[in-house]
Amino acid sequence: MVRKFILQGTLAVLLASGHYSACLAAGEEKGAAPAAPPAPAPGKPTIAKICSNCHEAQAGSLRGNFDGVAYKTQSLQLKIDEATEIIKFDKASLKTLNIQPDPEKPDEILRSLKKGKEIRVEYTEKDGVKFATLVSAKPPIKVAPEKQLNTVEVEKLVAMGPEAGKYLLIDARPAPRFQEGAISTAINIPFPAFDKMAGKLPADKGALIIYYCAGFT
Amino acid sequence: MSPNSAGRAEKLGYTNVKVYHEGLPEWTKRNYLVLSAQFLKEAWIDKDIAHVLLDVRPAAEAEKGFIKGAVTMPADKVAANIGTFPPKDKKPPVIIYDQNGGEAAKAAANALVGAGYTAVSIVTGGLDAWTAAGYNLESGKLADTVTYVPKPRPGEIAIEDFKKLVETTPADTLILDVRNQDEANAGMLKGAKLIPDEELDSRMAEVPKDKKIITHCSTGVRAEMAYHKLKDKGYNVNFLNAKIEIDSDGKITAIEKP
Repeated sequence: MVRKFILQGTLAVLLASGHYSACLAAGEEKGAAPAAPPAPAPGKPTIAKICSNCHEAQAGSLRGNFDGVAYKTQSLQLKIDEATEIIKFDKASLKTLNIQPDPEKPDEILRSLKKGKEIRVEYTEKDGVKFATLVSAKPPIKVAPEKQLNTVEVEKLVAMGPEAGKYLLIDARPAPRFQEGAISTAINIPFPAFDKMAGKLPADKGALIIYYCAGFT
Repeated sequence: MSPNSAGRAEKLGYTNVKVYHEGLPEWTKRNYLVLSAQFLKEAWIDKDIAHVLLDVRPAAEAEKGFIKGAVTMPADKVAANIGTFPPKDKKPPVIIYDQNGGEAAKAAANALVGAGYTAVSIVTGGLDAWTAAGYNLESGKLADTVTYVPKPRPGEIAIEDFKKLVETTPADTLILDVRNQDEANAGMLKGAKLIPDEELDSRMAEVPKDKKIITHCSTGVRAEMAYHKLKDKGYNVNFLNAKIEIDSDGKITAIEKP
């Protein structure tokens, strides 16, 4: 699962900039894959809609919002849109990624997950019972350094203008914020309207496109 | 949002996508922003959002016709008058226009940015763009001192009042959640009704006319858009201008000013 873009959302950035959270992917290492990943049961979702912004359904993994955990029965509950999955686990062998244990309950690491947190669960399935081997939480946003421009670089381009600088600058904030003031030469394509406004992207797939929003706060 | 958008563009096959990740907080430390005459009118003046509007043309020019609410301050006087502005830590939005969006406006904006003001914008095309759009001019005396009184955005409900309404929602009140379905799946306030802002126009009949409506989203932005849509249709409506997180039990786990 190599992804070109490292795309994980910090809640902070996403809240600051508007809406969405997206599920993570990179920065996440792959846990030991089960010998034979179970095929997803037809009809039942294995990935929440919000996660599918960045991820595809994947055999042996469920992606959705953490809903709760019962250590007495060693099972966790996962919401995938309208559906709920109950997944058993073994406290001793369960692996986790990007989850900080609560110092007061170090043995019950899943208790430190907030309800609604986007997680990925790797599992095996036997006799219709799902058994979790890894729970991975969405880490903070990171953008690979080679994908980033800094303020000075953007200033240089904006001073040249889109024609000489050969760029398209896109403000991804909600329209009301863009209207209050934006970087010179930017157009507004709010993230939730991405599909609807895809026609505004350049015909040339190699053209330089620069996105910005309200930054990481 | 910008990393998410960039990822989507790459999925469409774009090969040269970058993210200016520092984004506006860094940009505005060193640069002004721009807005069109239309957005000066629609996003600031018509909505009655507190701001400072500077007419930086020579005073005699300004008096012949200016934009409502403008303060006259010729561009070459701005630097000397910085002391008369509200303190920069209040982050007053300062919007500047000259005749045609030229050097005068830029000089005035740079003086303010240089003095540490981080919410400075220029009206693209200046007064010429404003008149070309057919908007009215005022004439006579302009104010010559800058005043700025921060005020709640029209329609905003206080966070404390909202929390009380969530605890016990009176029968005549409806909390309207205008987030998307996938966000609401993670948890909704008890008794709230979900109509995503995008669908509000087509589903407005589902909103009861005889109730007081309070809209909320996750940051206040869509709640405010929904507020305006409902208000235009004659609803008694307010909105929550706050960041809010709700867990799957319907409890508010975080709420604060945006």
